[in-house]
This record gives sequence, structure tokens and C-alpha cells, in this order.
Amino acid sequence: MDPAKCTGCGECARHCPVAAVNEINQGFDDRRAAYIEYAQAVPLAYAIDPDACIGCGLCENLCIAKAVKYDDIERETTLKVGSVVLSAGSQGYDPSGLDYLGYGKYPNVITSQGFERILSAGGPYYGHVMRPLDREEPKSIAWLQCIGSRDTNRCGNGYCSSVCCMYAVKEAMIAKEHIHGDLDCAVFNMDMRTGGKDYEKYFLRGRDKAGIRFVKARVHTITEVHETGDLKLQYTDETGEMQEEIFSMVVLSVGLKISDSSVDLAKRLGVELNQYNFVATNPFAPVTTSRPGIYTCGVFQGPKDIPGSVTEASAAACLAGTDIAAARGNDITTVEVPAEIDVTEQEPRIGVFVCNCGINIGGIVDVPAVAEYAAALPYVVFTDQNLFTCSQDTQEQIKEKIVEHKLNRLVVASCSPKTHEQMFMETLEACGINRYLFEMANIRNQNSWIHSNNPEAATAKAKDLVRMSVARAARLKTLKEKIVPINKQGLVIGGGVAGMNAALRLGQQGFDIVLVEKEARLGGFARKLHHTIEGEDVQAYLEKLVQEVTANEKIKVLTEARIVGFEGFKGNFATDIEVGPEKKLQTVKHGIIIVATGAKEYTPKEFLYADSDRVITQVELGDRLEEKGAAGLDSVVMIQCVGSRNDEHVECSRICCQNAVKNALHIKTLNPDAHVYVLYRDIRTYGLLEEYYTKAREKGVIFIRFDSETPPAVKPSSDGDLLVTIKDHILRRDVEIRADLVTLSAGMVAEDTDELSSIMKLNRNPDGYFIEAHVKLRPVDMPGEGIFLCGSAHGPKLISEAISQAQAAASRATTFLSKSEIRLSAITAKVNTDNCVKCLTCVRMCPFGVPAFNTKEEVIEINEAICHGCGVCACVCPRQTIQLSFYEDDQIMCKIDALLAEGM
Amino acid sequence: MAEEAIKLGGKKKSIFLDQVKELLPDGGNLNLCLTCGACSSGCPATGLENMDPRKYLRMAALGMDEELKSSLWTWMCTMCQRCVYVCPMKIDIPQLVFNVRASWPREDRPKGILGSCDMALRNDSGSAMGTPPEDFRFVVEDVLEEYQEAQPEFKDMEAPIDKQGAEFFLNQNSREPVTEPDEMVPLWKILNLVGANWTYGSKGWGGENYCLFLADNEAWEHLTRLTAKQADDLGCKTYLNTE
Repeated sequence: MDPAKCTGCGECARHCPVAAVNEINQGFDDRRAAYIEYAQAVPLAYAIDPDACIGCGLCENLCIAKAVKYDDIERETTLKVGSVVLSAGSQGYDPSGLDYLGYGKYPNVITSQGFERILSAGGPYYGHVMRPLDREEPKSIAWLQCIGSRDTNRCGNGYCSSVCCMYAVKEAMIAKEHIHGDLDCAVFNMDMRTGGKDYEKYFLRGRDKAGIRFVKARVHTITEVHETGDLKLQYTDETGEMQEEIFSMVVLSVGLKISDSSVDLAKRLGVELNQYNFVATNPFAPVTTSRPGIYTCGVFQGPKDIPGSVTEASAAACLAGTDIAAARGNDITTVEVPAEIDVTEQEPRIGVFVCNCGINIGGIVDVPAVAEYAAALPYVVFTDQNLFTCSQDTQEQIKEKIVEHKLNRLVVASCSPKTHEQMFMETLEACGINRYLFEMANIRNQNSWIHSNNPEAATAKAKDLVRMSVARAARLKTLKEKIVPINKQGLVIGGGVAGMNAALRLGQQGFDIVLVEKEARLGGFARKLHHTIEGEDVQAYLEKLVQEVTANEKIKVLTEARIVGFEGFKGNFATDIEVGPEKKLQTVKHGIIIVATGAKEYTPKEFLYADSDRVITQVELGDRLEEKGAAGLDSVVMIQCVGSRNDEHVECSRICCQNAVKNALHIKTLNPDAHVYVLYRDIRTYGLLEEYYTKAREKGVIFIRFDSETPPAVKPSSDGDLLVTIKDHILRRDVEIRADLVTLSAGMVAEDTDELSSIMKLNRNPDGYFIEAHVKLRPVDMPGEGIFLCGSAHGPKLISEAISQAQAAASRATTFLSKSEIRLSAITAKVNTDNCVKCLTCVRMCPFGVPAFNTKEEVIEINEAICHGCGVCACVCPRQTIQLSFYEDDQIMCKIDALLAEGM
Repeated sequence: MAEEAIKLGGKKKSIFLDQVKELLPDGGNLNLCLTCGACSSGCPATGLENMDPRKYLRMAALGMDEELKSSLWTWMCTMCQRCVYVCPMKIDIPQLVFNVRASWPREDRPKGILGSCDMALRNDSGSAMGTPPEDFRFVVEDVLEEYQEAQPEFKDMEAPIDKQGAEFFLNQNSREPVTEPDEMVPLWKILNLVGANWTYGSKGWGGENYCLFLADNEAWEHLTRLTAKQADDLGCKTYLNTE
């Protein structure tokens, strides 16, 4: 079908007489031969499945848009491009070949992909958790981890898929939420690899709050209980006892695999792949393929989760864009916004659109009743309800209705303005209506999700929320946004691997950059490292990088520099910096900021570190091996999670497992006879790092697991060695290891940025790492516009990850710096100086230092260009003489009045 | 009983596991254990002697050779290979068990298996019951005759021994001709009904090979060669192992 003509109305699918297996729902239901993959597909255009279509012609006759093209064929097109990004992704591993799991034989054994569809509102069971055999709600679900991952015997995938541990926890949590009774969830695993930023907290929440059981065991065989369709799992538990459990359902946590078609594509393009068919890359050039001009990102580069994929996407965009930076600004299409219609004199004409959000809202709230209710409210001239109000086709419908009914106010009752306000405002603008004549009622996050057990109350509350929003919409005013120019210089804070890469990428694209480093020389924490686990020379790389940065004439490096003052707003910042030993003050004007302040190794308080020179950290071991080799080392014990995953530092430091494996391998290479023991809690060698864990075991490194409750103990022996005691997790017996060296895998701690974050008003999490704007969707943006984040300032990470993040931050900054001007939000505070008594409360309370007393005019002034629109001043003003536009007092009070008008 | 702590570390010393690794292709992957327990979860001998395949391999990996070699569990493994089938690292635990067995003085190995191996070595039958070839021939012919008479539909049924040029060479569990001769007949009937051209051998007809389970390498090679040679001498194309 012609996507340009198809309106996505779905008439073809409704009348198509042919059923076909619905692949997107993993075969749990049917679709028609004329179909669309899923409701939010972009473009929202239907297609004909040629394998299923019988060519009856019904859809062609029905289609008013004349979009059906029976004779449509595949066409080849030639595109001339300057660079290519390979982001072909992956597919889930197909476990059909693993006969002992019964997948394909027992209906209630499904893959994690299938379970994702079962949990989805757009899935085969509309989000109700049911098992395929009898559509009964399961009483218990088991997840089996590492299906198609970390298995060189049955599937040949020696890598870890990196995502399955987290999605299993997530699926179990959501399943427990969807099923309102007791649901027993058990995750059978070898290691729980929740090593991403804040992932450990999520895992602990799943375990301790939601009551998910995590069982350290791999199940041998699944058998079905004939009468019930339940599944019998037999496993030896951690104590070695044989256990048998019955589950209603089993979810196989399948890993990621590169599809054959991607392998073909890479071959055609002449791009080198590694032994597992991921694109071969170097740790210092993580998104650069073997062929110049071709870049890669996402799972095709290596197994990773969404934040990592989105980051790499920006990194690949950065490099692809750098190659063709000279052509920037050509072939630009601008969105034509129609001239604004003046509606200030018009009586409000409000349109209300109520969203079902699939079944997220519609499954609980009586949406038609809410829409009908809204129709009777003051000034409402039109109401409608939509399956997804946010979908592309709905925007078109809304635009039609605005014009048709001469609407001058829009109310959408759906989800959060945080995610969707901008989009609806653009829809208004496209009709010539001022974007601020918009109001949203959050009847999902603040209603249907919370009151899912009480649909009647939820419907009543939705009506209340809509009534309040309609009341406010009627009082909204047209607001004008200010347009300001952008300063094209960038400021990068931190001269480590991340900061230098970010500066270099921006410099290469022609932007002037000031790179600020607090130490006397560039390099950061990488100065302390020797080799990556792949064997690449860190110091050689660093030397080359420093040289490139200092040689780039667009980059100005300030060392021994300290930020002491900061003001301004996106596109127009000014930062005061003290530079050099003499602390010479200079002010830098810049349009963007990249924060790359890094992290450092934790200094242990544990395990005799302070008392014995035979107890050292992994970084110190790296130095020792580099200087003295491993001669004389008969026995080395490594202890993991020192300063991580404990009460003080809840999070995992992500890199220590691979660090221990790296150093263990180094010892074994230098001295194969040395004993190396790694005492660990979960080995988290995610992705392709798993290969090195395998190699370490192959070389005879012994891994012994312990729990946080039963940590190892280190004491000196009478002859000067160290004695480490621990309980072997398999034999359940005490082990005493005589060691001449104990190495602590000390975690990472964020650099001290107390002063910086307070001067620049940048938010950090309790661990001292800076907070990104959105974990998945905006992983290198900070909440304040024009401010970006990369490297270990964001959280502990590998050099390769820091580099791709730096390239990503440079890419995001480029998007910003490429514009010559920006529109500022019209939501700002205004002082009515007539009533002001100059008490200076606003001056004292503004977190951004915006209100100022103009001594000449003797009035308080609030510069709208730098006002963040937070509203603090408007709240604290004792004379109530400051109004925040879009949130004026009466625009808020009217909502309360509207709420109370109907009685609570 | 308070067990003594396992002592590790210190200078490198040779351990049994390393010796076994030398013998096996890819070292039997014996170092690669992830301690996931898939082997133990599916092992019919898990729990016996408070042991399971994972613990057994762990003892070997930690160099606890004395305990490994003295565990009676060594003789409880059935060599079924269910562990290898699902092991993500394809670790050949049965081969470790086999080599531990081989490290035992022959006379200390379990009497039942030892006796059965010795019986098989007594004559050319290779039978764990010690049955000589002529006794086997007598029983087969006697039982065949009985069935040919009692069941007219099988009056032409055959149970040949040393039939030159037969397609299939069939071996036979040794216990059946001695204690349950009727048990041999159902398979004869099947072979007869499908018209298979088959034969027993007067030599090497005993199907079980207790010497293999005894880890007596020389003896089990002898028995295997004995039966294979008989099949070759008769010109049989396919060896049907009924055990």
C-alpha cells in the first residue's frame, strides 16, 4: 500500500477475509493479511502480506484513499551519501533447538519476547497476564536466564547478552503489578548482571520489596504436568539439595543474536564482523567499523541495553556527521508554521480529547463517559476519544477538528505533560493557534495506573481532572516566546578521556571549545591504567589523544583550572575560571556545556588495606604487574565488590569484575603457575567481556562466590603471608587460602564535584554522579538545556563506553550549536512593581539568582531570558505581586474551584 | 562432624584434574565450570554419598585429590552423560569420573563390576555371566525351536549364529540366555517380520561391557575388538548394539 496515501483508518484490515499468524505478538494471536504491525507504527500505514493475501480485491474496493497497490513491487533506489551508520540490531535467540526446555512442545513455556507481548496493552491478551494454554492467570512464573547466551555447548554463543537480567527483573515486577493476587516469581540465574547506573537498586527493589525470588541454579530439564499444563522444574539449590517446583508458566530469557540478513549486509558492505557476528570495533573507536566512512551502533556493535544503544546512536551520528561537516546547512527543509491567529478577543472554544492509551486508561476508566461528561462543561464545543491520542494520525485528526470547530483552546486528557506537552503544543501551532493555549489532564499516571482496582472511582476522578483542566484552559492567555542568539563556543569540563574526546569531536566540526582541567595535565583517571582487557595500550592512546587535542587550533586547554562563577542560560552562558598556579581569573562565554568530571578508585577501609602493603587495589596491582611482572607471586586472592553493593554504596561499580579478570589473566600470562582466586558475588562480565571470564577459568583461575552476609576475612599469617578465609559456595566448606597478595576490587567513586555542582546548579544523585535528562531517551543530556554529560561523571564505565558517550555528547552539542538562535520558553515570572515593597524575598529565594534590585529605578527586575520558570518567587512573594505566566494565580485557583464545585 | 578447612594457595602443585585434562580433547573443558548446577539438576546420582557432579568437579578443581579418589560416588555415576548434554561449557564430567575409577587399584574396585568384567574375560563370548559360546548356541537353538512349534505363524523364524554375509550383527545382553531366555524372542520376531538379514556371533555376542564401567582400559578394548572382529569376519555391514 502507498504509505503516502494510507490514512491508517484500518478499513482494509477490518474487512480482509484472510487470517495470518501475528508475528509481532509472537504467534499468540492472528492478524489479517492487510495489516499494520502495531498501533504506534511510524509511518502509520497498512501493508499487504503477500504470503497470506488471496488477492480478492476487497480492500482495494473499500479504500477511500486509493492507497492499495496490488501491483506494487520491490524497487531499488540509489542514494548518494557521505557516510553510513549500520544499526541493524539483533533478534531474539530461538530456543527451539534446546529440546530439554520443551519450547514449542509445551504451550506454557514461552520466550521473554513472547512474555513482553503478553504484558503489552497492544499484545495478544491486551495486557492481562494469561498463559497460552488455557488463558488462565498464572499463579507462578519461572524465568530461566542465559538461554542462548553464555553457552558454548548448545548454542555456541559465548557472550553475555547484557540485557536479560534486567528485563527479567522488570518482567517479573510488571507481572506482579498486573496480577493483583499473589504471583510467585522466580528467576533462575548464574549471576545477576545488574551493573548499569542505578540498576542495582532496581534489582534490590525487585528482590526485597516485590519479593521476586532469585535462585542460583540452571535448570536441567522442563517437563509438563499433563493434567494441568503446569511445568515441573528440577534443580539443585545452592546447598546442593535437589528441589522440585511446579510453575504455571516458564519464561525463557532468550539472548540477543545477530540475524543472517545483517551478516549478509555487512559482507556486502565489506564490514568486518567478529566471531559472534557483531561488528568488529576497537575499544578506542567503539563505533568505527573496519571500513572508513561506515559507523555502527546498538546491538549490532555488541550486546547492550537501550541507554547504551541510544548513546552509541548519537556517537555514530557524531562521527558520520564529522565526515561531512563541511556540507552542514545544505538541503535543509524548514517546517512552515502558519501565521498565528489572534484569538485574544474571542470567547474560549475548547476541544477536549480523551485518550484510551490502549488499555492503560481505557481498561480502567470509562473513557466514553468522560468524553461525554466533558462535552457539557463550559466553553467546550467539541470532544472526542482516541485509542492513542499521541499517534501521528490522531494529530492530523486533531488539526482537522481545530479548523472545523474553530477551536481556540485544546485540552488533552491522557498522560504526562513531561513527555507529551511539546508535541500537542506543536499540533496547536500548526493550526495557527498559540501553543500556550493548551492544557493536559493526567488521567493515566495519576489516575488509571493508581486506581486500577477501582474503575468507578477512577472514572469519577478522571471527570474531576478533566473539569479542572477545562476550567484552566478557559483562562489561558496567548504568550510570546523570546528568540535569542546562540554563542557557538563550547565549554568542556574535565580533561580525561571523555572530556578530551568530546572536545576533539566538536573541534573537528569547527566549533571553538574551551577544555577545563583541574589538574596540571590532561588525562584524568586513565593516567593510572595500562591496558584494556582486549590488550590495547591505554597510555599510547592517551598520548595520541592529548596530542590531537592540543594540536587542534579550535580547542583551548586550560589546566589547573577551577570554575568559580557561572551565569547565563542555554546558548548564552558565562563561566568564571581561575587558571594556573597564579589563579588568573578569566570569563568564558559559551553556548553549551559538556560535563566530564570523571570518577576515581575508592580507597578501601576494608580487609587490612590500611595496615598491610600486601593488600592492594586492582589499579595498584596493574602498576605492580607493569613494573615488576608476576614473578614471585605464587598465590593472589582478589576480593570483589569492595566499596560497592554495600550499605554505603548500594550501586555496582560495573567495571571491577572485568578489571579483576583482566589482571588475573595478566598474572596467568606472566606466571602460569601462580594461583589466582577471585572471590565474587556475581561475575558481571557483560557482553563480549564474558569471553575473558571464560578464558580466565580456562587458565585455571578459581572463582568462589560469597554473599553480602558471609564476606571473606583476611588476616596475616605468622610467617608474613596473608590468610583469606571464605566458605566455598559449592562444597559448603570453609576454605583457607594462603596468599602473598590480596587485591581488592575497589569500586569507583565520583570525583568531588560539590563546589562545581553548586556553582553551576547541576543535579547529582546521592552517589555524586550527575543525573541525565532521561535514562533511556536522553542519556547524555542533562535536564538543563544545552548541558550534556559523558564519561564516568555519569556513572562508572569502561574507556570504550566513555568514548562513545563523549562522542554522543559532542553530537548532541552539535545539534544545539548548529542553530543560530533559539526560542525561549514564555513561562517566566513577572513583577508588578506597583505592589512590590522591595522586601527582596524573591532575590533571596530564587535558586538561579535571577531577580535583581535595580538600584537606579529602585525596582525588582526579573530577566525573562534567564528565568527558569520554576515559580519559586511567585510562591514566596508576600505581596503576591509576582505572577508566573502560564501558571498565573487565577489559572491555578480556578482548578481548585472547579474541583470543589462538584463536591469531593 | 566439623570438617577441616580446605587449604588452598601457596606454591603450585600438580593436581589430578590437570593430569586428566592432558588425556582429553580440549581438556574435557574441565576448567570451565560456571558452577551453575545444570549437571547436578539432571543427574540421577545427585544426592548419593552427599555428592553430585558439580561438587565432584569442584573437588577436582580445588585439588582435593585424596577426597576425590576416595569418594564412593565415583562408582555411582552411570556415565549417562545427561550432565554433558546441557552443560553450557560442555564439560566432560563422565570422563573425569572414568579416570578417577582408573586410578583405583583394580582389586579395590567394586566387586560386582569387577566380577562381571573378569567373567567376560574367561572365554570368547564376552559375557558377564561367563557363558561359553556353545552354551549360548544351545539355548538360542532350543528356544527358537520351541517357538517355531508353539507359534505356527513363526514357524519359519530364524535366530542364526555366525551367518556369513548377514547385513546386521546383533549382540545380546548376557543375562537373558541364562535367566530369562524368552526375553530374547520379541526382538527375533520383529527382525523376522521386517525380513532383516541378521546374525548373532558365537564369539563376542555379550553386549554389555562391564570392563568399560570398571575403567579397565585394556580389558574393555579387548572385548570391543573381540566382538567387532567377529562382525567383520562374518562380513556384516551394520553392528546393532542392543545394550
